[in-house]
Amino acid sequence: MQAADASLYDRRVWRSHYAPGTAPDLPPTPHASLAAMVDAASREFAALKAFTTVVPNGMNGSLSFAQVDELSDAFAAFLRGELGLAAGARVAVQLPNGLAYPVVAFGVFKAGCVLVNTNPLYTRPEMQHQFRDSGAEVLVITELFADKLDAVVGPTPVRHVVVAGVPELFPAVPRGIVRAVQRWWNRALPPIPVPHLRFAAALARGREHLRRLGGAAAVRAWWQPIGPADTAVLQYTGGTTGVSKGAQLTHGNLLANVAQIRAMGTSLIEPGRECVLTALPLYHVFAFTANLLSFYEAGARNVLIPSPRPVQNLQRAVENTPLTWITGVNTLFNALLNEEWFVAFPPRRLKAAVAGGTALHHAVAERWEQVTGTRIVEGYGLTESSPVVTFNLLAGRRRAGSIGIPVPGTDVRLLDDAGQPVPPGEPGELVVRGPQVMARYWNQPAETAQVLRDGWLHTGDVAVMDADGFFTIVDRKKDLILVSGFNVYPNEVEDAIGRLDAVLEAAVVGVPDARSGEAVRAYVARRDPSLTAEQVIDHCRTLLTDYKVPRSVVFRDELPKSPIGKILRKELKAEVRSEAAAAAVAREPADA
Amino acid sequence: MLTETETRLLGVMMALIMLGMGASLTFRDFLIAFRKPKGVLVGLVCQYGIMPLLGCTLALLLGLPPALAAGLILMGCMPGGTTSNIFTYFSKGVLALSIMMTSVSTLVAVAVVPPLIALYSGVAGVSGEFVVPAANVAQVLVVLLVPTVLGMVLRKANPNIGATVELIGGLLGVLVILFLIVSWVPRNHQLLATTPWPVYFAAIGLGLVGMALGFGLARLLREDANRSRTIALETGIQNGPLAVLIVTLTFTGELQQQVLLIPVLYSLFIVLTSTAVTLWFRRLSEREALARDRAKVGSLPVAPAR
Repeated sequence: MQAADASLYDRRVWRSHYAPGTAPDLPPTPHASLAAMVDAASREFAALKAFTTVVPNGMNGSLSFAQVDELSDAFAAFLRGELGLAAGARVAVQLPNGLAYPVVAFGVFKAGCVLVNTNPLYTRPEMQHQFRDSGAEVLVITELFADKLDAVVGPTPVRHVVVAGVPELFPAVPRGIVRAVQRWWNRALPPIPVPHLRFAAALARGREHLRRLGGAAAVRAWWQPIGPADTAVLQYTGGTTGVSKGAQLTHGNLLANVAQIRAMGTSLIEPGRECVLTALPLYHVFAFTANLLSFYEAGARNVLIPSPRPVQNLQRAVENTPLTWITGVNTLFNALLNEEWFVAFPPRRLKAAVAGGTALHHAVAERWEQVTGTRIVEGYGLTESSPVVTFNLLAGRRRAGSIGIPVPGTDVRLLDDAGQPVPPGEPGELVVRGPQVMARYWNQPAETAQVLRDGWLHTGDVAVMDADGFFTIVDRKKDLILVSGFNVYPNEVEDAIGRLDAVLEAAVVGVPDARSGEAVRAYVARRDPSLTAEQVIDHCRTLLTDYKVPRSVVFRDELPKSPIGKILRKELKAEVRSEAAAAAVAREPADA
Repeated sequence: MLTETETRLLGVMMALIMLGMGASLTFRDFLIAFRKPKGVLVGLVCQYGIMPLLGCTLALLLGLPPALAAGLILMGCMPGGTTSNIFTYFSKGVLALSIMMTSVSTLVAVAVVPPLIALYSGVAGVSGEFVVPAANVAQVLVVLLVPTVLGMVLRKANPNIGATVELIGGLLGVLVILFLIVSWVPRNHQLLATTPWPVYFAAIGLGLVGMALGFGLARLLREDANRSRTIALETGIQNGPLAVLIVTLTFTGELQQQVLLIPVLYSLFIVLTSTAVTLWFRRLSEREALARDRAKVGSLPVAPAR
């Protein structure tokens, strides 16, 4: 088959689909750094609510844009003034969604330092790896997991620890009640084994320094020299597939992606009028760039949820805030659609929902649109691209299953195994070039060279492009199942299974098979317990060719998921491997 | 007998408890519950069908004197107690159902309780000075409806205040029973020592037998085991403090003393029996959950080879 010309992709045939007024080549951003953006947005929207954190019983706390500005100035002064950090020092943040998070993140940017997003659920070894690799000197950690600090102070470069609570910055009475319940009822607050500073104390010290240094002007001196090429965030990735490595996302990368997201959001994101539900963790790049940065820039109110599981924890937030946008992953939308209180009273002012992180299943999208009467669109991206690469349209014909078109200023090509562009309609590895693509992996030249080649980011995802320039992800290269030499894409099978009403969710992996090399197995969580394996298989036969149909079906109450709700096929594959190993051992003849 | 101050304190506590109960609800919660009303309806049947009848039956069977019978029947006609929610939580039951049943039974009490008292008092042959006038009961219930609705409005207006009030109401629900015990028992230990066993039997039996019957009826009406346990707790646990309040506002002196006996004894013993039952229910819940886990690991159906 003759390889296609790169121009098939580079002429950006999708440009005609951008909303009117969208510049197909991204105009240069007015801000040199994220701190500059925060500064400008805070002044423009000063009195509006920027963040509201809602805990499951409905208690909440809020910060206005002006307050966020003042508090992050204080935190910046704490970092540079009190702790004496140099520009470019790494500051790790390990918090669930809450009011402290934006104060820390923006404070780090204003101090000219680098933010290292860390998952609060990390084990000690994971924390050690990340802090050593990044060279983090300061750690802001949630008090829920502060017992793990014994593994951090000493074995890692972290020299200063700040501890923050879930109801940080709440009004006094709710804060007291929430902490009291956590401490005495849930017994969730462990004793802290190392010297540390409480968040409020850190802010107080910061304010002291600010006073002595002459106020906000001093802070400006710290962030003004920062430019688009400087690193803003070390975003670690590879946690579910391989060795954890830090993607170096520059101010330019993130600002570009913010502009790209705003462009695709079009007129549905009205400055100063939006209210977005942030149930996804801010330490994950999707919510970080979309919810935290993009919506802050737009003067929107972010409704932060510290613990979105179980999904009932969202009920009070959904009832009490005027949500206009929701970002989530397939698992979250699915869970909401299974809640009576959501289906009976969907948010009245909702404009749109965005799904990322993992494929949005057909059945979920349809049901969502039916229940809420609004569009749900899928985007695609990866940590290494800040993250958004492609996005669906919020208006016009719905293209089910597509990840949409590349955002403005982005080039996408599909390559075959030889690195050549594939002919139209053929699947190929998706590679990206654009201002949102990371600079490199931190201290990992070999890994970087594997993934960034000739200015293109190789994603490891396989996609096809249609004549209009709309892309569809076929699957991750590594998750492909080879049945008698045929490629089976798990997503396709999962989607088919998901069309059964009785199915809540499904994950499909390959199991070794003597006859066909590999066979398809489906792990299914049922909504209706009377569903049988035979029914699932028969249903698949009506939609898929024989080699794609699952040979076995295993029912589970729950499927293993990552912290943001992505179903972890790799865990199921590990189970399959250990089953096979156990079976092999069982077949061994006993020793005489 | 409760002093004036104690009665007033009790009244204030009840108002705050109702405020807290209202603050735990939104109008939407009701709308959602009434889309599938079966659970709530079963609860109402148990609460106002079984319990008053049980109270009257026990009074007749045990041959209680009119003052005590009046107290027992009053107790049987009361709406569900707010402590049922706490016990349901600890027994790993269906909390939302418990809250809804307690709330709905309290809200309809205004209309339902006075006629029930009148009916069963007549059946049990309680008359004259021992009868709790319907008007009194209605008055107390209406007065308590006000804080309930206020609580719901408060919740809507300010979730922080609403959640705080809900918490306080919940705590008071437990404290009020302790308050009753502490203020009445020491003063009346002589009376307790000379009280014949049928009275104790009635006070304890109302709760325990009520739970058993509630469970049975729920299962009969095809509710699953966990929901049935929740309905059982809800049925057996009556609003003791409310009955005490009504009695202290209706009767005085020696008469109040006598009529008060069973409501106070009931309140005292229901905490003990509920605790024991809750621990048992909790173990059952955990066992059922474990069995479900085991079932899922064992299921590995394999498709027939082509």
